[in-house]
Amino acid sequence: MKNMVWRLLRRNISAGQLAGYALANFVGLAIVLTALQFYRDVTTVWDDDDSFMTRDYTVVSHKVTGLGSLTGSSDGFSEGDIAGLGAQPWVRRVGAFTASAYNVSASVEMGGRGMSTALFFESIPDEFFDALPSDWTFDPSNPVIPVILSKDYLSLYNFGFASSRGLPQLSEAMIGMVPLRVSVSGNGRQQWFPARIVGFSSRLNTIAVPQQFMDWANARFGEGPVAEPSRLIVELSRPGDPAIKEYMDSHGYEMSGDNADNGKASYFLTVVTGVVVAVGAVISLLSFFILMLSIYLLLQKNRDKLHDLMLLGYSPAAVSRYYAIIVVAVNAVVLALSITAMLVGRAAWQSPLSRLGIDVSSPWMTILTGIVIMTVITAVNLAAIRRAMRRYF
Amino acid sequence: MRLDTIQLRDVLPCVFRGAETEPPVSRSEIWLRDVTLSRGGVYMIEAESGTGKSSLCSYIYGNRGDYEGSILFNGRDIRSFSVKEWCDLRCRHIALLPQEMRLFPELTAMENIEIKNRLTSCKSREAILAMLDRLEIAHKADVVASRLSIGQQQRVAIVRALCQPFDFILLDEPVSHLDARNNGVVASLVAEEASSRGAGVIATSVGYAISLDVTGKYSL
Repeated sequence: MKNMVWRLLRRNISAGQLAGYALANFVGLAIVLTALQFYRDVTTVWDDDDSFMTRDYTVVSHKVTGLGSLTGSSDGFSEGDIAGLGAQPWVRRVGAFTASAYNVSASVEMGGRGMSTALFFESIPDEFFDALPSDWTFDPSNPVIPVILSKDYLSLYNFGFASSRGLPQLSEAMIGMVPLRVSVSGNGRQQWFPARIVGFSSRLNTIAVPQQFMDWANARFGEGPVAEPSRLIVELSRPGDPAIKEYMDSHGYEMSGDNADNGKASYFLTVVTGVVVAVGAVISLLSFFILMLSIYLLLQKNRDKLHDLMLLGYSPAAVSRYYAIIVVAVNAVVLALSITAMLVGRAAWQSPLSRLGIDVSSPWMTILTGIVIMTVITAVNLAAIRRAMRRYF
Repeated sequence: MRLDTIQLRDVLPCVFRGAETEPPVSRSEIWLRDVTLSRGGVYMIEAESGTGKSSLCSYIYGNRGDYEGSILFNGRDIRSFSVKEWCDLRCRHIALLPQEMRLFPELTAMENIEIKNRLTSCKSREAILAMLDRLEIAHKADVVASRLSIGQQQRVAIVRALCQPFDFILLDEPVSHLDARNNGVVASLVAEEASSRGAGVIATSVGYAISLDVTGKYSL
């Protein structure tokens, strides 16, 4: 019974056109999804290696020149320098490192051997952390100093010092458990504090303590006026923008280490991904128009039948249901195939990436993106069918 | 809801605009008049070709809107009906036999009828076969419509039009391709079906009319 209407309406359905659409949209959508997933997987390198700060932050300092240090001229940033940097279009905000104006030395007991070393502290404003490390506070009545170390220091110790001296290599987790005692002195005072390493950062190339502690300690132990900051932390709105390097070079500034290269690489990756996604999107869009044209053509060819069915009392929704089912089915298959293609690609690059120490990210976001795109395409298709059908009523 | 009256108020097909004072409009008993058709009545609308019979059927069936004036169902202007309301009207309240029959040529006679009947669940297969038998085309039930003669197609279309509840049935030249004997058979079938529903009949003709007892006659 049901397929009587179906038999009428399936006339003029062009399998060729539908297959052409399905193939084109599959290619387009698969390119979009695969590129997105690849981008997400590869950028985990930059996103995940620092739990406190994203790659949008960089540390800026003056280039050290032999001459400057000999003449004793200041290598700090004046307020004018900071304002000038803050006014650049690629800068979201600028924060200053506060240096310690007191003496610091730390000692540690390890394997029965005591080590002691002179240190320095620096701090940056709390709002420059994406995620504040736990216990990132300082309370003078219960003084424990949380410290963030540069990852480079741990590497230096593990691969330079420890291996040559026969000392145990330390993981980040173990370091957190090592009891550390810090002596702070200056301004005629001296005090011991317990300290704890709460994390490591590859972006903060320093020994960082909370701003709260720094302000308190500088007031208590500091001698002389607070010097101009020698380093700035900058949040970039467009990491990798070539204008950044130009500006830095022309002002004799230096950005910390590999960040700039990471930024550049990620900038190119973003551009390349953007191009690839755009190509995929264009293919998808064109295929979408193929389907729309095919649907309109089909409805046009079946116009009399559709009209006659509606004269008999069939509602536009009832007659369009058959075409809607086709569209939904084809789109669902295309979506499933595209997601499969993306997953196959992901499996292919998973092992080379994991050899580079990159954990591929979960595909769910990409799958969700695909579902959203397909839902939108399907919704527009269905609305077009419904609208055309009402015109034939 | 029951459709009790169809009222034509100053209706004029757009094509006749500007020709209101000339024939056929000036002579017409329908165009630019106030006519009320009641449920239960049998109305014959006689006309020459080109005076707008089929247009009138299409207007009443909600199929076309190229007219001036207004058509009221139970006092309500039909231009205000939604698509959903029209679908309901076409399934339950108004049956139409189009002049050009509009059978689907690739479906059999039976399928052409059932494609309507499955919407309304009005008749059993046996009842449909009985009607076909009465019109002497039961043996053609499984023949595709494109293979039927025009007269046979007309009878299939009549059966299809009867496969629904209705308050009015619009028959646009229902017997134009039938001989006098078949005319009589069709007329008695339509009369029975209409009176069993208490429905009104609106039939058109160009001179050769269906043999019904008419309660009202209009020339278009």
